[in-house]
Amino acid sequence: MIPRHLEWLGMSHLITALILYGYLIPISLYVSIEVVKVLQATFINQDILMYDEETGTPADARTSNLNEELGQVDTILSDKTGTLTCNQMDFLKCSIAGTQYGASSSEVELAAAKQIASDLEDGDSDLSNFPLRHRKAQVSWENIDKVDEIELETVVTSKGDEDQKHAIKGFGFEDDRLMNCNWLQEPNVDDILLFFRILAVCHTAIPELNEETGGFTYEAESPDEGSFLVAAREFGFEFCRRTQSSIFTRERISASGQVVEREYKLLNLLDFTSKRKRMSVIVRDEEGQIFLLCKGADSIIFDRLSKNGKAYLEATTKHLNDYGETGLRTLALSYRRLEEKEYSDWNNEFQKAKAAVGADREAMLERVSDIMEKELILVGATAIEDKLQKGVPQCIDKLAQAGLKIWVLTGDKMETAINIGFSCSLLRQGMKQICITTNSDSVSNDTKQAIKDNILNQITNATQMIKLEKDPHAAFALIIDGKTLTYALEDDVKLQFLGLAVDCASVICCRVSPKQKALVVRLVKQGTGKTTLAIGDGANDVGMIQEADIGVGISGVEGMQAVMASDFSIAQFRFLERLLVVHGHWCYKRIAQMICYFFYKNIAFGLTIFYFEAYTGFSGQSVYDDWYMILFNVCLTSLPVISLGVFEQDVSSEVCLQFPALYQQGPKNLFFDWYRILGWMANGLYSSVVIFFGTVLIFYEQAFRVDGQTSDLASLGTTMFTCIIWAVNCQISLTMSHFTWIQHLFIWGSIVTWYLFLMMYGALSPNLSHSAYHLLIEALGPAPIYWATTLLATVACILPYLVHISFQRCFSPMDHHIIQEIKHYKKDIEDQSMWVRESSKARQETKIGFTARVEAKIRQLKGKLHKKQSFLNILSPVRT
Amino acid sequence: MMDMTSSKDGQSPPNSKKTSKKPKYSKFSQQELPAWKPFLTPGWVIATFTAIGIIFIPIGLASLFSSGKVVEAEFRYDETCLSPDVAKDAVAYIKSDTTNKTCTHKWIVEQKMQAPVFIYYQLENYYQNHRRYVKSRNDKQLWRKSAELQTDHCDPVDKTEGKEPIVPCGLIAWSMFNDTYKFSIDNKDLTINKKNIAWGSDKNSKFGHEVYPKNFQSGGLIGGAKLNESVPLSEQEDLIVWMRTAALPTFRKLYGKIESDLEVNDEIEILIQNNYNTYEFQGRKKLVLSTTTWIGGKNRFLGVAYLCVGGLSLFCAIGFILLYVVKPRPLGDPSYLSWNRNPGILK
Repeated sequence: MIPRHLEWLGMSHLITALILYGYLIPISLYVSIEVVKVLQATFINQDILMYDEETGTPADARTSNLNEELGQVDTILSDKTGTLTCNQMDFLKCSIAGTQYGASSSEVELAAAKQIASDLEDGDSDLSNFPLRHRKAQVSWENIDKVDEIELETVVTSKGDEDQKHAIKGFGFEDDRLMNCNWLQEPNVDDILLFFRILAVCHTAIPELNEETGGFTYEAESPDEGSFLVAAREFGFEFCRRTQSSIFTRERISASGQVVEREYKLLNLLDFTSKRKRMSVIVRDEEGQIFLLCKGADSIIFDRLSKNGKAYLEATTKHLNDYGETGLRTLALSYRRLEEKEYSDWNNEFQKAKAAVGADREAMLERVSDIMEKELILVGATAIEDKLQKGVPQCIDKLAQAGLKIWVLTGDKMETAINIGFSCSLLRQGMKQICITTNSDSVSNDTKQAIKDNILNQITNATQMIKLEKDPHAAFALIIDGKTLTYALEDDVKLQFLGLAVDCASVICCRVSPKQKALVVRLVKQGTGKTTLAIGDGANDVGMIQEADIGVGISGVEGMQAVMASDFSIAQFRFLERLLVVHGHWCYKRIAQMICYFFYKNIAFGLTIFYFEAYTGFSGQSVYDDWYMILFNVCLTSLPVISLGVFEQDVSSEVCLQFPALYQQGPKNLFFDWYRILGWMANGLYSSVVIFFGTVLIFYEQAFRVDGQTSDLASLGTTMFTCIIWAVNCQISLTMSHFTWIQHLFIWGSIVTWYLFLMMYGALSPNLSHSAYHLLIEALGPAPIYWATTLLATVACILPYLVHISFQRCFSPMDHHIIQEIKHYKKDIEDQSMWVRESSKARQETKIGFTARVEAKIRQLKGKLHKKQSFLNILSPVRT
Repeated sequence: MMDMTSSKDGQSPPNSKKTSKKPKYSKFSQQELPAWKPFLTPGWVIATFTAIGIIFIPIGLASLFSSGKVVEAEFRYDETCLSPDVAKDAVAYIKSDTTNKTCTHKWIVEQKMQAPVFIYYQLENYYQNHRRYVKSRNDKQLWRKSAELQTDHCDPVDKTEGKEPIVPCGLIAWSMFNDTYKFSIDNKDLTINKKNIAWGSDKNSKFGHEVYPKNFQSGGLIGGAKLNESVPLSEQEDLIVWMRTAALPTFRKLYGKIESDLEVNDEIEILIQNNYNTYEFQGRKKLVLSTTTWIGGKNRFLGVAYLCVGGLSLFCAIGFILLYVVKPRPLGDPSYLSWNRNPGILK
């Protein structure tokens, strides 16, 4: 039908052109990417190493279109409770009367001490020659790192053992000196007794008898308090009953295990508030003595000690510092003996204050309480572990080495957040903590603007301080609370705030509302323009999970809201390492390579159609049979590219985990930058030119067979198409570095399929096959020039890429190239120390994480050693 | 303690249910299938480039040699066959039924041409690959007599004014080439074999034995050749050759074969019947005589291209050998890892 109308003609021509040139726009790319991403997601779901045995949940990729972004994450914003911690407090250590009880010293110290020891061993025992020794220590670096690796391993395993031993929830204490009434043999029996009594009496909890076991469980205001009571019970001071006026305990004070029930008359209870940071009870014991028992934040208690109550102050302070460094929550315990007269005088005041009505009642109560909580005698201190989820410090360590920034956003109060910061190694001693706060007293007085100015001022000062810092090892931590954040997130302050936060090694936001979590995520996402990942477990994290580029929900414990809102759900925080460093890295590279290749393939193919148009007067005639064009993207080239996107591995998963620095290829976007995309496009352009003009010039006008026949449209198009199939499939085999039988089947199978198709198509009746009838068998197959053209075009097409990758691998190899070579020559087995050394060096310079902390400790110890050394050096001439 | 056990008891039913969610271990699902992980070692690089060179250069030489053995002669006759008086209005001349369109051409054989010598006509600036031209045919009608009424796609050369179907219909057949050539040496005619110039499959499976031309070139517009209505389409090899549309606007089609050798200095007189109108669209017509070898007709490009690629490849091989000598990099040397090369960036 010849179109009679110009409009119709124009339209039909336009549509013809759109269909023909559609190959330049890789629409099939979308389909292939979807398929690939779904398969990648299946592999994530199937990963047995991300399956949590305890809760029975596997990892779940809930959306499949973010796989490659997993490999490009820059900042992780994490919730605390339920994500990093289990929301369970364990009584771990205590310091009574200046003596420290509780097993295992801090892991960090342990690791650092061992490392230093081996450093000294390997180095030189000749201590008088320090610089030389130091240099030798550098040489023996590899051994140190080996120790370091081993250290980390043992820490992990020993942790696991501990977990199994502590069957009692809330009690992780291990020290036989205090257990089973052994404390009666300790020197300060009285203090220990008092310590236990404070634990058992000074609280607001209610006991619940468990019918089955006969034991007690406790309903406490906070998990800390619960763990105190559990600890007291284990020490033999079981809190068993509370009445309106009394507290009853069952005490086992003799070695025989005889249990005595004692009653403490509860006279007053001075409540805990966040401002007071302490609580006290005033009790009268069975002997009629009145005690004030007080527990509270160490700083508060220390200020209130009497002159003769400071006997253990120094020792206790040291212990508290150690605990704080390890990330334990500490409280100091103290008491005061009251005379009857003194108490009744005060009680009158107190009752008056209690009875008062009016605005200043609170203030009065506080003032009166304050009068009583003085002249305290320090007994000791407790250390409670906010129990981290399994593997969290190791995971954070690895993620930090992979160059990821980790922010903690928590609704908890600042102290808790800081403690967790320490136990996760996000904070360490010697890190400069920048606390940005608003002075809560002045809130009512100051105007909003004044507060804001104040905050801005703090931010600028801190930024200035960081800029002026000379020490390359100096690390800063930013800690900010929710109230301040309200101001800091306002439009005119937020960029300064972000600037400061980005300069800090760790950022901890505490007391933040769910909305603020989302706002912080948005600020990071938009302000830095980098990929953010939010991870959380509860309903309060939904906002930030949705706001972040990638939302990860911890499945299992706290309901499903976070999981429902998330893109990926995992059962444990520690699986994040594998999700990002292995799957993220692979998926990123796979998708990047796949897209680049797709551009190449479609440009190479689409342009030949375009060139041919120039020879047909742009009439819309295609050089290829319609079926070739349909099958090109559907089955002749799609499976190899899918196998590239699904199965390609530059290095194995173990290597990904051993060399966290490889992860940075993603955030730096080394595989999908413009240089690479344009390079592939240029390669496609080159291939199209070679194939089209090569074939045209070879088949131009003369006979292409010995029988004298000249080529027609069908034979030229089929030859060209054969060249393209060969070229693109050989090209993809050069891009891949990992061939399982699947890749082999798909790539070489695609080429075979093409010939099979051509044969079958040609065998159909001419009504169906038209000009392709018997084409391969009769016309092309017997013509040597057909095969010669295929070989020539294929080799000519891949030659530049081959030169490029040969050159690149030889003269500017990338990390994964070297690692592939090491693996291939089994150098990692022959020279294990090299392998361990490299894998420990393969990390981004980070100031957070366990390893960074160990290094900081080493620097500190070395510094000390150095001082000592120089001191000795000064002394030595005098001695001799 | 009992508390623990009770809670464990409470968990056990869901536990057994949950274990079913545990992914099953297989090398495939854990992405641990055994794999071949090749990479380009210097040895492989050099070997590959050398091998390409070693394979390509002989192929190139062989095809150049073969191409050189082909003897080819070509004359453009669309202009020479116009006598000066008609050259001004060539279109009117060629369209007229009355003018004498024979012209002769004398040609002395310069190189010996061994039988069979293929005779081609070559048309230039002739868009046989235009989409609407390519479409303008009906394969069913060509194959079966019963389908002679099927003239879809053949518009405007589908039916006569009396609505009778045209066989073969369509523009391709309608525009069939109709110049003829006669060769004679010393007034002795050379026989031109016009059998088996088309593809066997076309004759046997596409053009029917029982389909005879009908109403062909009987309309108002006369295109090219007329067909003998008593010869079935399967025997009309000129038509079959013509109906294989060419890919490019310059193309050759086989006219026939001379099955005797042409000796050097043979003086051949060619009698050309110059009927086909290419003057209207500035097309050119050529007559080509050529022998063939295994690579077909004369084409130096294939050989040159093979030599170029092979030469470049050898050059690359030498280049890489030199580079590896000048700047060797031990394989798997960890000092090339980025954190060792740029200690500033990484630790």
